[in-house]
Amino acid sequence: MSARKSVYHRYLGRMAVATMLYVAAIFVAAKTLHHAAAISPMAIGLALLPGLAVLLMLYAIARLLIELEDEYLRLLEVRKSLIATGVTLAVTSVWGLLEAFTAVPRLEVFWVFPIWCAGLALGAVVNKITMGSAGLM
Amino acid sequence: MNNRLKVLRAERNWSQQDLAERLGVSRQSVNAIETGKYDPSLPLAFRIANLFALPIEAIFTRD
Repeated sequence: MSARKSVYHRYLGRMAVATMLYVAAIFVAAKTLHHAAAISPMAIGLALLPGLAVLLMLYAIARLLIELEDEYLRLLEVRKSLIATGVTLAVTSVWGLLEAFTAVPRLEVFWVFPIWCAGLALGAVVNKITMGSAGLM
Repeated sequence: MNNRLKVLRAERNWSQQDLAERLGVSRQSVNAIETGKYDPSLPLAFRIANLFALPIEAIFTRD
């Protein structure tokens, strides 16, 4: 197995573990806690578990960028992250202004990471169009 | 920046994958460089020049 493939396999393995933990933690928290449950160590712990999974996903992305030695493939991944960050800043900032001055529904901060992930997908499309390759999906 | 990578590769009957393996990069990298979508870093440009035993300026030229 090439070094590049093993980097991708490690990334996919980390993301798979983090995604399973995220889904399981969301399920447990939703089943156990009601919305805006009273503050207790157990409630806070359960509510933080999905956050731990998100941190693991960010760690997986960071390790991918660090471990990728192929400069072109690394550039594709960095571009995706930058586009995702731009999309997230644009959506949350503009929506935040709408919230401040109008009666639009409140956007939960919970959605910031999913928006960023959607930005990664958009980044892959932009890469494919402008750089000839999407990068790792 | 323009480059003669595709011509040099064809002269040796190497596929993009062959060249990528010799350079220790991905086939996508070779394709992106050949099609002008990506300009390699100086270290990679030197590796390419060394592989073809040519000076960098004989492979990469200004637009």
